Amino acid sequence: MMDRSRFVQYLIEMCCVYTIISVAGAIVNIIAGTQTNNVNVLVMFATCVIATFVLYMHKLFDNVSPLVMIIVQFLTACALIGLMLLGISLFIEPISARGWFEFYRSFTIPYIIFAAFYYYRVFAEARKQSELIRQLQQDHRDLQ
Amino acid sequence: MKLNLYEDKNNNDEHVDVYYSNMRPVIRQIIDSVNSERPQLKGRPADEDLDDGEEVILDPKHIYYLDHVERKLFAYTADGVYRIMDTLASCEEMLWHYGFVRVSKSNLINIYKITQLKPDLNMKVYASFDNGERICINRSYKQSFNEYLQRMRRMR
Repeated sequence: MMDRSRFVQYLIEMCCVYTIISVAGAIVNIIAGTQTNNVNVLVMFATCVIATFVLYMHKLFDNVSPLVMIIVQFLTACALIGLMLLGISLFIEPISARGWFEFYRSFTIPYIIFAAFYYYRVFAEARKQSELIRQLQQDHRDLQ
Repeated sequence: MKLNLYEDKNNNDEHVDVYYSNMRPVIRQIIDSVNSERPQLKGRPADEDLDDGEEVILDPKHIYYLDHVERKLFAYTADGVYRIMDTLASCEEMLWHYGFVRVSKSNLINIYKITQLKPDLNMKVYASFDNGERICINRSYKQSFNEYLQRMRRMR
């Protein structure tokens, strides 16, 4: 499923994602005057590992529609995050119902935003390519 | 492109000189025509009732797309479907300068025959042809398809 070079690529991407998220989190903390704790940092890291892994599976969905891919990836991510939260709840500290809700909300909103952006990109790119094809066809007709 | 024709009844050395700035598809097509190497695909009607055993020569410009199904290659034209005795990979190489680009493991499409590129609601992008058919542009070929269009644009 994942050979060595792909695994290394996955690690690189995961590190990049974590760096961006943690730097963004630090900036938000500075602006809002809040602080984070060690558990939060680890949860953020685990979420990055899960999110990058799930998004990295996109090659497996080449033959299905992107919409199905987005939904399956989201559900997979939800399931893995559920397991992570369950683990934290059982072994580190209990998470309240509100905590579960907040976590899923903060995960789902950016996911929907990025999915919508992807959706828009697919349509915009097709429109651009369609226009380019029309120009190429026009040139081709002129030369004949 | 400027075309000069010189008629000389006494000329025993007919020849063609081509002055070009870069080797773009139209120049390649002119060279192929002069060398009588313009690619022609030979095929037989896919419909056995129409197949009289004679091979039909197909001009690439009349082909909408090539479809590889169960180890057989078919060419779709306005006149019908023809079975081609060639591989998809060799057709891809041969027809590169003639507007043919790979969009999936089994399809090579003619961009000059596309009427529209349109994504479905499920985000799959389809190339529609004027015969009403459409071919899905596979996501793993999306980048190479885009690169092909960009290269064709640069070579105009």
